[in-house]
Amino acid sequence: MTTTDRIATAPNQVSATGPERAPRKRRESGLTITQLWLWRILLAVSFLVAWELASGRVVSELMVSRPTAVAERLWIWITDGTLAEHILVTAQATGLGFLLGAGSGMLAGYITATFRKFGDVVEPAMTALYTMPRLALAPLFILWFGLGIQFRVIFASVIVFFLVYFNTHFGVKDVKSELIATVRLMGANRFAVATKVVIPSALVWVAAGFKLSVPYALIGVVVGEMLASDQGLGYLLQRSANQFNAASTFATIVTLLVIAVLLDFILSRLTGRFLGWRTKGALNPL
Amino acid sequence: MVRPDHLTSQIGPATDERSGAEAPPLVELQQVTFGYSGSDTVLDNLELQVRRGEFLALLGPSGCGKTTIMNLVAGFVRPQRGVVRFDGAPLQGINTRVGYMTQGDTLLPWRTVARNVQLPLEIRRVPRARANQLIDSYLRMLHLSDARDRYPSELSGGMKRRALLARSLIYEPAMLLMDEPFAALDAQLRETLHRELLATVAQLQQTVLFVTHDITESILLADRVIVLGTRPARILDEVVIPFGDDRDLAEIRLSNEYVGLERKIRDLLRQ
Repeated sequence: MTTTDRIATAPNQVSATGPERAPRKRRESGLTITQLWLWRILLAVSFLVAWELASGRVVSELMVSRPTAVAERLWIWITDGTLAEHILVTAQATGLGFLLGAGSGMLAGYITATFRKFGDVVEPAMTALYTMPRLALAPLFILWFGLGIQFRVIFASVIVFFLVYFNTHFGVKDVKSELIATVRLMGANRFAVATKVVIPSALVWVAAGFKLSVPYALIGVVVGEMLASDQGLGYLLQRSANQFNAASTFATIVTLLVIAVLLDFILSRLTGRFLGWRTKGALNPL
Repeated sequence: MVRPDHLTSQIGPATDERSGAEAPPLVELQQVTFGYSGSDTVLDNLELQVRRGEFLALLGPSGCGKTTIMNLVAGFVRPQRGVVRFDGAPLQGINTRVGYMTQGDTLLPWRTVARNVQLPLEIRRVPRARANQLIDSYLRMLHLSDARDRYPSELSGGMKRRALLARSLIYEPAMLLMDEPFAALDAQLRETLHRELLATVAQLQQTVLFVTHDITESILLADRVIVLGTRPARILDEVVIPFGDDRDLAEIRLSNEYVGLERKIRDLLRQ
């Protein structure tokens, strides 16, 4: 507490260490939590009002619809079950794709970082596959897996795989050798070194990979649904846009937004349970 | 697995009960030569013994090969020529009968103090009840009982050192290796920790091999100081410190004996 206060009230010091450093903790901006949320709500409301007013006056309603129309559309979809049906399809594919990609990514990352020779051999291949636009694989996957949910799951999992793979790989490699040496003196075998030190230590990186890849899993599934599907939010989006229905298109986008935020929140809570130690004592000056 | 009660019996009298002969030193370096690949020889034909129950300090300028000696005893590296004997037998592989404490922070940041101290017991599959007993007593001995549920990031520098010490000692290693463990601390804190270390070592009758470049520290703590010269490391001399187990560190520093010892070692290092 005192540390942040001191930084906040000593602008000279801050500029001396570097003016570009963005404040991380909300309180460093000088706003209380209540003030902060009031401002945020105010911003959102004024955006919606501006949109509503501009629609049909400044910009054609055909292009941007209007918030009330979007809300109406959402309400219709919610009450007639359309939304739930499509969300379920998308969520299922996203979840499965994420699990598959994250699981295999962790395993592969652990293996290539632990067995260094093997890791060195496959490194260029992994980097090349990672750099390649994954979207280019979609037609191939459609060919292999058809138009069903499998295609979308695999497509999302491939995207997730690389993000988790590289994070795990570097996380495992990053483990301090001093830690490993200490534990080996205590009598730890390979397995104990892995379970007591390497994996927990790499978990910070792995969690970062998870956080990064969840929205990508969603993107993968939605793109897959846009390309080839007759259900899911991606399909809904595609259909709405094809029908020049701006309200429906925006309604789908809002739904996706909510889902993305929700997924991120759930993941943060889950990883927070395992990484709670990282937030402890952050302000301890000693 | 090496377990608790062996310790006192092993270290007790310096004689072998069966034959009545003198037990071998705990550690023996015999004509040890070592160099890292591509560099000069670090150790050349080094002879060194650590006796059971003694506190031996290796004193020398930075880069003289002190840490290499520690790594040899820990089994992290092997001598190119010569033998490292531990408890009479040539050392093979990692030496799991030593505890190692460096100046680095090797506490696992995701574990609380108690769980960090518990780590070696987990690895050695010590039964839960016995482990909890040991954890309690070691935390108490090192004044960490109140901090048992804190994470390393919540600890002060001194508490971290104590936690590391507790973790290195709890599995009752035959020997404790300490490589400048207090180098990063301020003078006052170091003094406190010196006192606590001596009390702990006396209580456990722990054999210690302690590396430092600080003359004062070596005199205050050790029973014997081996003064090393630079690469390749050679033993300049061995200085016996006559203060005994029950020493008052504040008193010692003011004594004529201390001043004499310090001058002697300083002269040795100046050669």
